[in-house]
Amino acid sequence: MSATGHCGVLLDVDLSSGQVSRREVPAADYEQFLGGRGLGAKLLWDLLPEPGVDALGPDNPLLFMPGPFSGFPIPSASRTCVVTKSPCTSPLQSPHAGASTVSYSNIGGFLGPEIRLAGYDGLLIRGQAAVPVYLRIEDDQVEICEAGELWGMGTDAFDRELEERLGAGRFRTAYVGPAGERRASRACIVHTAARAAGRGVGAVMGSKNLKAIALRGTGMPSVADHRAMIAAMDKARQRFKSLGGRLLTRVMRGAGTASVIELFSARGVMSVRNFREGTFREAARIGAAAAREQAWVRDLACYCCRLSCKKSGAVLEGPHATLVHDGPEYETGVMFGANLMISDFNGLMKAIFDGDDQGLDIISTGGAIGFLMEAREKGHIDASFLDGVDLRWGEVDGVLEMIGKIARREGVGDLASQGVKALSQAIGPHTASYAIHVKGLELAAHNVQANPPRALCYATANRGACHLNGDDKRHQDFVAAADCLGLCLFASNNGMPAFPGLDVDDMAALLRAITGSDWDGERLLQLGERVFNLERRFNLREGFARADDALPDRFFDEPFTIGRKKGAVLDRDEFAQLLEDYYEERGWDRKTGEPRPETLKSLGLEA
Amino acid sequence: MSSRSSLAGLGATRRRFLQHGLSAGALLLLHDSLGCAFRYVPGDDGLPRRYAAVVADMSLCTGCRTCEAACAGEQHAVQLDGKRLPGLANPHTANMRVRSFNPDVDVPATCALCPDSPCIASCPVAPDEATGRRALYRHPDTGAVTNDSERCYGCGRCAATCAEQRMGAIVFDPRSRRPQRMCTLCGGEPQCVRACPYQALSFQRGPIEAEFHGQPPEQVAQVLFQRWYGVTGGQP
Repeated sequence: MSATGHCGVLLDVDLSSGQVSRREVPAADYEQFLGGRGLGAKLLWDLLPEPGVDALGPDNPLLFMPGPFSGFPIPSASRTCVVTKSPCTSPLQSPHAGASTVSYSNIGGFLGPEIRLAGYDGLLIRGQAAVPVYLRIEDDQVEICEAGELWGMGTDAFDRELEERLGAGRFRTAYVGPAGERRASRACIVHTAARAAGRGVGAVMGSKNLKAIALRGTGMPSVADHRAMIAAMDKARQRFKSLGGRLLTRVMRGAGTASVIELFSARGVMSVRNFREGTFREAARIGAAAAREQAWVRDLACYCCRLSCKKSGAVLEGPHATLVHDGPEYETGVMFGANLMISDFNGLMKAIFDGDDQGLDIISTGGAIGFLMEAREKGHIDASFLDGVDLRWGEVDGVLEMIGKIARREGVGDLASQGVKALSQAIGPHTASYAIHVKGLELAAHNVQANPPRALCYATANRGACHLNGDDKRHQDFVAAADCLGLCLFASNNGMPAFPGLDVDDMAALLRAITGSDWDGERLLQLGERVFNLERRFNLREGFARADDALPDRFFDEPFTIGRKKGAVLDRDEFAQLLEDYYEERGWDRKTGEPRPETLKSLGLEA
Repeated sequence: MSSRSSLAGLGATRRRFLQHGLSAGALLLLHDSLGCAFRYVPGDDGLPRRYAAVVADMSLCTGCRTCEAACAGEQHAVQLDGKRLPGLANPHTANMRVRSFNPDVDVPATCALCPDSPCIASCPVAPDEATGRRALYRHPDTGAVTNDSERCYGCGRCAATCAEQRMGAIVFDPRSRRPQRMCTLCGGEPQCVRACPYQALSFQRGPIEAEFHGQPPEQVAQVLFQRWYGVTGGQP
């Protein structure tokens, strides 16, 4: 054990050689990067010193990173950050053929805590197995098992099948679906059949011929100050009992993230009709109230979480009757719903099930299908381009067909599986204005014409368009810090003092108790800033430049035509100024977008 | 003046009443803390009439496992400067275990303290002459199923019987060769119940009529698959 509160090691599995070892983490890396997204970024930075490594090749490491909170019954300390080099992104130009950004995707559930109970601060998976395999990990016993006929299974059936094979032994599992197996670049890693780490990390897992990880542990991470830890955990729980905390709890338990579907539509900040509009007239048909009435039967929580935002349900009538799955949350409901103009609730449930079962990132898949619908409507492609699939706004059958084709990488599905940037390049430059991506990654269900801070959030995110990146520097640093701890952002106050949830001082108090090191809120925010800058430098090393911090023309040229925010559009000059101010605040060169040497120095990063 | 004296008189009476009342209350509390309120009392037919157990309401459970962490913490409690604090322990060591199924059904399962206790009936150790206890017995104060590890010789029948006839709460530990995971009721204040953020667990005394109490999690899940999702388990 190298430092209190940390396990001190990662499990290092090379699937090419079958070698399993323990990789020690230098104490300085814990001090500077803690765990989760930060320690993952540092490992990626060290492991891939040469730019341009093929994200889907054996050299790209796949990291499952819990944080120092993981394993403790801290409310909502359930998250695992999956870190790897992105198979989704690409720069405008770069001397390196395989250039892409860092990718990090956060998954809830029970995985991260279990990794720490097994004695690791992370799993590092390298190489490529000769045949499909899955990993079975019990403390220091690691077995690489042949996946055999499990390869090819959808995530829902596989979840049950693996559980049965493991003998109800309380293993925690994470796996890819057919999309990841086929290296469809927008594939997810799925946990508990519905929780998912998206943004391409599933394609990396599939490229390693790795179907699943199953893991359990008998250990427990240590703390430096037991009494302070109990007190800090009590205080964290109290955060959900204040007036605001009770409201947050009630909203999340009642409706999860779908609670804002109708609200965001009304405010004109929702992704509608391939981001053409911000308001969906039929939002009420896919919103939380409709879901509760028609499908949701249970509220489910991640490890030691008090919010239970996950909703499972059933379709009881119509062509998709007997379907059982999680109902719409904000992202899945909007990207397969409003963004495709779909208001057929049961059809939407089926699309979400198919997306999850195939192991596809529903944000990116919804983006790609929305782009194709618009291209067809505009006559930029014809029916033969779509292999005869009838893709029209609001029609769910074509969407279901296309989800299958993308997961199988069949015909047009192969191109669509590479995202809207690839589709747009194949069709022609006249489609670029409505190819909704940043750095090659599709935008999530938050539209920006009426929300300039969110536009900055997307443009400056290190993994490509990311809705959780944070809308300004301080918010971004807060998010990056929280992502290093294993804590769920939805249980934090997002760095806003008036909001309920854990604040940065609560996090620091927990960290002090766990590590014995003198953490405070400012030091934690500085750590977030350090992580953000390191990720930025990774991207710059790959050949990304300031010009890549750009948004599609649609947001500047096409004002909303409906809703309360009718007429809203981004102003190019204002947005340029917003970016300029942002670089200045970050201490980055305004021309190149590179962190200045003094900025790096103040963060303890080598120039 | 007179009213004041009468008030004073009333005050004295009230003080006496309070003193007596408080002593009675304290006695009752003491009585309770000794566990008498949930003592295991056999009826005429030899079956218990009063007992207590942790009861789960599956419709409120979200599968968060806070109960497991609380139970493990209670069992690994630490003394720090004379103060007892919950421990930080692996949730798999808990007597409370949440079983999760797909479709999403979570069943918190702990020893149901079955009134007829088939686990105790299966214990082959001859009853002690003085106490009448087998190696496995009901704790006289709490009613908790308790193992006397001195007299137990590790046959594992109690765990097997629990798995066959009830919910498999008792686990036979192959290392110590002794039964484990029997709910202790935490001396009358179950920590799982206290910690549950969803009020899905309750501490119930007296005859327990909760649906599913003491039933195998797999069986409970099958019923709930049908009730909640209209399926018989898994996607069609």
